[in-house]
Amino acid sequence: MTPPRQVDVRGPRFGAWVTTVVLAVVLLTGSGWLLAAQAVVFAVGAFAGLRHAPYGVLFRTLVAPRLGPVRETEDEAPPRFAQLVGFGFALVGTLGYLTGAPVVGAVATGLALVAALLNAAVGFCLGCELYLIVRRARPARSH
Amino acid sequence: MPVVDLTGAVVLGAALLLTAVVAWWLRTRSGAVRTTGGATVREVEVLRGLGVRPEDADLTVVQFATAFCAPCRATKARLTQLQTRHPGLAAVHVDAESELDAVRALDVRRTPTLFYLDRSGALLGRSSGAPRPDELAALVAAHAPAQGHV
Repeated sequence: MTPPRQVDVRGPRFGAWVTTVVLAVVLLTGSGWLLAAQAVVFAVGAFAGLRHAPYGVLFRTLVAPRLGPVRETEDEAPPRFAQLVGFGFALVGTLGYLTGAPVVGAVATGLALVAALLNAAVGFCLGCELYLIVRRARPARSH
Repeated sequence: MPVVDLTGAVVLGAALLLTAVVAWWLRTRSGAVRTTGGATVREVEVLRGLGVRPEDADLTVVQFATAFCAPCRATKARLTQLQTRHPGLAAVHVDAESELDAVRALDVRRTPTLFYLDRSGALLGRSSGAPRPDELAALVAAHAPAQGHV
């Protein structure tokens, strides 16, 4: 068993700000391809781990050295799960934009933006909160 | 220069408004302890089924948590800290994912969700979202006296 991987808490917060800006640009331009790129960014964070997440790499190489030492770390599981939720919304949105359903694309992008901005501005992880609601809706496992 | 996507601009405005409303709700409402009036016997029985023994402490706090819940960790740490000054405080941490029957029976929707029981086994209240530090401290002080004040 490897111990749970820890990340600097400021990393996911920074990533959430970048994500918010990217998603706002997606909405204003209606660009399905930019949303597709953001979906890939989410997928890397969710499936390969936060240490490979593009905005995380950006944070470590460009931002963190200017901020001073790491004061607080957190388990990467919650922010990593949030990336998976973001990936889900971005995937639906991308399909919407690229198959000629721009309203679907915009609404899915808008919901992802709400989640990203809540995370960036008040540190609230919407995906983490929704996890239990999704989980309990499924039938109980037999013991 | 591309024209701004009108649908997208409207959705962006709505998303910013929705974010502001949710942030306001989180600041003002989330984590507040609600007293549970009426039939709570069944809820206490469900908690007992999880191994909770309220008669062993002045105040027993039961926290439902998941691995994806950062505020749960902070709340757990806060409870541990309060226990050093309030020996009558007991904290039980339940992995919500492995106790889904109890989660449904108690209608737990968010993590952390906390249940507060006194020594008689009465349910004092419940809260969803990380409890407010001052409210939690006051509740603990009211039911589990601080060391040296007994």
